[in-house]
Amino acid sequence: MSMSVPVHELERRAARCRRKVVRMVRSSGCGHLGGALSCIDVVSALYFHTMKHDPSNPKLPTRDRFILSAGHKCMALYAVLAEAGYFDEAVLDTYGKLNTKLPGHPDMHKLPGVEANTGALGHGLSIAVGMALGLLLDGKGARVFALLGDGELPEGSNWEAAAAAAHHGLSNLTAIVDANGLQISGKTRDVMNMEPIGAHFAAFGWAVREVDGNDAGQVVEALDALPYQNRAPSLIVARTVKGKGLSFAENNVSYHYWKPKAEELEQAERELDETLKEVDA
Amino acid sequence: MFERTEDPRKTFGAAVHEVAKQRPEVVALSADSGSSSGFGDFKKEFPDRYFEFGIMEQGLIGFASGLATTGRVPVFCAIAPFVTSRPFEMFRNDLGYMRQNVKIVGRNSGVSYSDLGATHHSLEDFAIIRMIPGVVILAPQDPEEIRSAVRAMLEYEGPVYMRIGNDPIPNLFPPAPFTIGRGKIAKSGKDATLIVTGSIAANALRAAELLESRGLSVEVLSMPTVTPIDRDLILESVKKTGRVFTVEEHYVVGGLGTIVSELCGEEYPVPVKKLGLPHGYTTSGPYQELLAYYKLDAAGIADSIQNSLSKGAGA
Repeated sequence: MSMSVPVHELERRAARCRRKVVRMVRSSGCGHLGGALSCIDVVSALYFHTMKHDPSNPKLPTRDRFILSAGHKCMALYAVLAEAGYFDEAVLDTYGKLNTKLPGHPDMHKLPGVEANTGALGHGLSIAVGMALGLLLDGKGARVFALLGDGELPEGSNWEAAAAAAHHGLSNLTAIVDANGLQISGKTRDVMNMEPIGAHFAAFGWAVREVDGNDAGQVVEALDALPYQNRAPSLIVARTVKGKGLSFAENNVSYHYWKPKAEELEQAERELDETLKEVDA
Repeated sequence: MFERTEDPRKTFGAAVHEVAKQRPEVVALSADSGSSSGFGDFKKEFPDRYFEFGIMEQGLIGFASGLATTGRVPVFCAIAPFVTSRPFEMFRNDLGYMRQNVKIVGRNSGVSYSDLGATHHSLEDFAIIRMIPGVVILAPQDPEEIRSAVRAMLEYEGPVYMRIGNDPIPNLFPPAPFTIGRGKIAKSGKDATLIVTGSIAANALRAAELLESRGLSVEVLSMPTVTPIDRDLILESVKKTGRVFTVEEHYVVGGLGTIVSELCGEEYPVPVKKLGLPHGYTTSGPYQELLAYYKLDAAGIADSIQNSLSKGAGA
């Protein structure tokens, strides 16, 4: 099913998913918060608006595929898959527990809907290129979406994949860089400057757009316009805010990995419940 | 035995091509390595199933993983160190952990790219790839075995690493079905068990003949599957001879010798003498001279075994 929904509904879905992220942190006591919250508007737009997929048939051969290259942002993926109905929401409360289906980096053999075992950075785009190549040859219109963090762009394997995707004209491949501008050691441009991200990919032969990745309207517009060029892969540079949606975590790198105190967790839950009320109103 | 020789790379490529004629899902991937891997005819007949990526082995393992999710059976062959040690993490995660049906083939393995030096020698591939759970490791020993191993590899569902050499290799064995995980008794004997894998098997068999002429009866077990090893065959022979030698074109640490040592250590402790390359950076030179330099020619293997046996257990 491809679920085309109004922007307001996407905002509501994303708010519900943010709340689920914090629910997972309550279960485990910790988690990669900042990146999950920065990319979640894009991931929910993909699943609730753009991608052809069927939660009741996760292996549907003609489905579009989503590869979370930045596997540490898995709470965003888990929240969206739960919201889409891939598994019972109660599973979210096993996050961080022994033998959970929701490990700290996704495992395709544990959870339906997960397409690749990512987590080691710089792998996802290559896997996505192979998938896109096979699906393009199948000729049934299936597409591949890969989400990368801006912090993983210095991994050289990404650029091997970038060259190959353009060389083989993979117009059914879209990479989205969740450019929140922060990584563990500080600002991404200070740690290893990979800007201008779009120009780098364009030089390899990709067709590029840049959007506010936390603005559902802009994200949907960019996704609806795909592919941007015949016989070329597409790149969306999604400028986002790390920790988006939690007042105390936004743009604060110390929330890359969050181990909240009780009061902070309660505040997070209050804030996101409030947001949910606002978007429901 | 030993008379007719074939180029292992051409034999390999032709064997994949044969299977591909029946199996449209078999595709070949190249890192500027396809023509040297014997894929010339494959490419000519199936241009739409032959994918060139240029020299990017890390990316290529990921592409193979992705292609496999769409039902293809990718075969990627290139120089052995560049498909094992360079993209190790991709092999581990994208093929092993993801359990993908991808076939990686390291050619010019061991020291067979002899004059090109240590960067191009592959002496740790068994050691590192066997650390990836669920990966089958094959090292066929003669042209006929390359053909049957290719068929078995493509029949098998899951990640496989196969290594082949460079120089022409002689036919050693009559055609036989290939069963992954099974070795065979290439020569019966009673004084010691000599376990060998890969194309160095020819030298091990010649060494056994030399030893026979010197009055030493060595049982030769040929092991075209390195992982999973044929435990029963080894233990049965070892219980008879009480003495083991291993021969491989690989470091003496981490490979076949280590696997056999681990097995014997747990199941039937006997001395295991490992013949192979010393754990250092190899020198270069013509292939046969290099093998002789490292005592892996027939005379060197025979002498090492004879010396060891004459000194008694553990020498």
